[in-house]
Amino acid sequence: MKYLFLSLFFVAGVAEAKSTFLDSINRTKWGDLEVVWIEDSKFPRFTASIMFQDGAITDPVAGLTQATLDLFASGTSKENQRELSEFFDFYGANIKHTVTHEYSVMSVQALTKDITPVISKVCEIFKDARFPEDELNSYVSRSKSHLRNLVTSHSALADRIYRNLSLKNTAYDRPVEGTLLSFEKMTSTLLKERLDLLNRTKKVLYISGPPEIKAMKNILGKNCNWSNQNNAAVGTLKKPTEESVIYLAEVPGDANQAQIRIGRYLTLDEVKGKHDQFQFLSTFLGGGFTSKLVQELRVKRGLTYSAGAYVSMQRDYGRAGIITFSKNETTAEAISIIRDVFAEVGAGLVSKKEFEHQQNHLIGGYAFGFEETTAFLGQIMQYDHQGRDLKELVNFPQTIKNLTPTSLSQASYEVFPWERMTILVLGDKSLVKSLSRIRPVKIINYEDFL
Amino acid sequence: MKILFLLLLLAGCSSVDKKPKSLADSINLDVRELKLENGMTALVVPNAKLPIFSLYLFYKVGGKNEVPGITGASHFLEHMMFKGTAKFGKNSMDFLIEGSGGSTNAYTTNDQTVYYENLPSAELTTILDIESDRLANLNLDEDEFNKERAVVLEERKMRYENAPKGQLYLEMILTLFKNTPYGTAVIGEIPDLKSVTRDQIHQYFKKFYAPNNLTLVLVGDVNEEKAKQLISQKFGPIPSSPSVVAAHAELKDEMFEPKLKSDIVIDKKGESPSPIFMLAYPTYKVGHPKGYALDVLSSILGSGKSSSLINEYTLIKKPVTTSIYAAHQQLEKAGFFFIGGEMVRGVKLEEFRKDLTSKLKSFCETEITPRNIQKIKNNYLTDLYAGLDTNAGLAQFLGDRQLLFGDWRFYKQELQLYENVTVKDVKEICQETFLKPSVFVSVWNQHK
Repeated sequence: MKYLFLSLFFVAGVAEAKSTFLDSINRTKWGDLEVVWIEDSKFPRFTASIMFQDGAITDPVAGLTQATLDLFASGTSKENQRELSEFFDFYGANIKHTVTHEYSVMSVQALTKDITPVISKVCEIFKDARFPEDELNSYVSRSKSHLRNLVTSHSALADRIYRNLSLKNTAYDRPVEGTLLSFEKMTSTLLKERLDLLNRTKKVLYISGPPEIKAMKNILGKNCNWSNQNNAAVGTLKKPTEESVIYLAEVPGDANQAQIRIGRYLTLDEVKGKHDQFQFLSTFLGGGFTSKLVQELRVKRGLTYSAGAYVSMQRDYGRAGIITFSKNETTAEAISIIRDVFAEVGAGLVSKKEFEHQQNHLIGGYAFGFEETTAFLGQIMQYDHQGRDLKELVNFPQTIKNLTPTSLSQASYEVFPWERMTILVLGDKSLVKSLSRIRPVKIINYEDFL
Repeated sequence: MKILFLLLLLAGCSSVDKKPKSLADSINLDVRELKLENGMTALVVPNAKLPIFSLYLFYKVGGKNEVPGITGASHFLEHMMFKGTAKFGKNSMDFLIEGSGGSTNAYTTNDQTVYYENLPSAELTTILDIESDRLANLNLDEDEFNKERAVVLEERKMRYENAPKGQLYLEMILTLFKNTPYGTAVIGEIPDLKSVTRDQIHQYFKKFYAPNNLTLVLVGDVNEEKAKQLISQKFGPIPSSPSVVAAHAELKDEMFEPKLKSDIVIDKKGESPSPIFMLAYPTYKVGHPKGYALDVLSSILGSGKSSSLINEYTLIKKPVTTSIYAAHQQLEKAGFFFIGGEMVRGVKLEEFRKDLTSKLKSFCETEITPRNIQKIKNNYLTDLYAGLDTNAGLAQFLGDRQLLFGDWRFYKQELQLYENVTVKDVKEICQETFLKPSVFVSVWNQHK
């Protein structure tokens, strides 16, 4: 049981247990296919995640990879969508996918006893998916309608608009999910070509489950017809357009609360080698009830229900941001407070007590990342994708322990320079007056971002 | 039987028949129970796989216990429970918990208020100290109370006023359970949230926060004896409350029976460019034998891509809905079956509503097949694995059963009841349910 190894790792000293920790991760090759396996016999089920090193960045039409995987089981030459759904549902198989600009992942979770039928069927679809026109047209109709209805979730709409604004003119500015216009351009042929490309793209398989999971090797080798001809997709890196304004996306109706997004795009040079330092920064600013922003915005002033910060890093770029909301009357105040917090942390005005508190928070919580094997595999996947050595994961508690208040203020200064922040407020147009005291306000139409 | 294997691994069964007669007779979750003299129940499940644990505290108090004028009191109090005690000063609980690497949160429903923490093993004494102290000596500071009022109002705006999907759900609950104790907003009505006083919340706290209204569940890397000793030491001296017993006794089952006499259709204006909708039928309270067939029915109709409603309205050449689902929700004293979704732009709402209510009746004849029922049982198993994968998942599973059924062992009966569900059971409950008066709510920007 690998959990035992992990347990030993936490109880024993770090140096002593390093090799044990890494030994719980099995790396092998099944033909051309790289495989990462963690044994987990807690339940008689398995998870298999295939990571394609290509994503939305090479989509000829925005949203194509997403649509390809959304419609993955929409029909083959032998079975229609209903029959395929019926097959997977009957086995209780859960098939999910994630598409980012840099990579795509398809995960299959099912009972171990059903490995053969479930994985064989997945392979069959990879080889023979047809993307029938009727199913595609239905998908396009539903997707467009759903996108037009995104305004029912102000938070989701703000995320979409902010993402687009903060990545404007970079290689990543087209939405992974597609747009109202791009859906019109999708054809069965394009989807088929996209799936063929994924079949040939460099890929890595991450699996967890009991030892019987190794049966997958023969099934994949015999049925999936995958190759690794294509290297990882890389975008043309450009600098984003940064405008010193507050974008105000007006929503219909009488919104009495405004969504706030503040942040920016980070280049690879800014991110490289600083993953753990930036993770600490995001925890310090918005990683829990005791984080700086939650204390300042919610606990001290009652301006919001929640506030969060992130510095997310991909292989070739990163994004940093603050997510919160406030009532109309206090939206400008909330933004000013966030600005002040950036300035304060950037200037090193952080007490030893609050610094050490967040260090302990992150170090003490380290073990939770290993409770579910699938979450552990997810971490490995991210490290692999970013080209990081897993020893960094082993050393994470020590790395955080070694950070200093100066390194925190330096990170904040680098990641959140106020004059370079993209600021989006989504809410009522009456906010113009109060927001313009902070920066010039540029009103945008949310529908332009659908 | 894979579920047997699951539970063996999960908690170390003491004895298992090789050829079990039934699923329920074959499994034994290894839960160590502790009953204190003050009426408190504690459940402990040691699991030393990682040096962490999850602690859940289930208080049997929620929206149904509130009276006009103090709607939202349970939820407001949930917020105030993080604001300090005599021993742990203002906001210090969060700092203690997060400062050791842990996390904490809470939620409030119609029936219960639940507090939970996930922490490294070394913090057991500290967290039991915190939890017992906030039960015995909660500080309801006036300034903090008023500051938190603003936070709760923001939460309400986020979940309802500015969220059409929240408006939809709330309207459905308020209508379906009108004039019953479930017919209120758990988060509270705005005038009540603005006017409720610190003293009213304090009275509410004194009435319902007592060890004889609490179930504590601890799962993870803990020593059973030490944990029991600590729980007894920290919670044992806290007196029980006779008033809470009386308060629960006042809520008679008949008070919760929905008063619907005929179908109700509500058009609610809201900022949704396409209509979003919910159609709800009253069912039975949790634990009712028919509830299990209703669960199976909801999965057949609206769970997974092969389900009936999705193939009728969504995955078709000219889709009517962008999404549609069915669910069966059981509360302590009542239940409801509901179907919800989002319509494709341009589809006529009234035509759809009529078609949906009519199709539901016909599904009782066409969709309840042995294969479909077996499919749902297979899925139930994989869902159960997912739910019990973490300390927190198991703690919640046990606590829910202890609170709602009065005995965590009820899961055995539940498994047996699911196993016994037949085509006939599901057909009968399908026909019964869809002949009842219903509530159909839609939110759309075209409504007046």
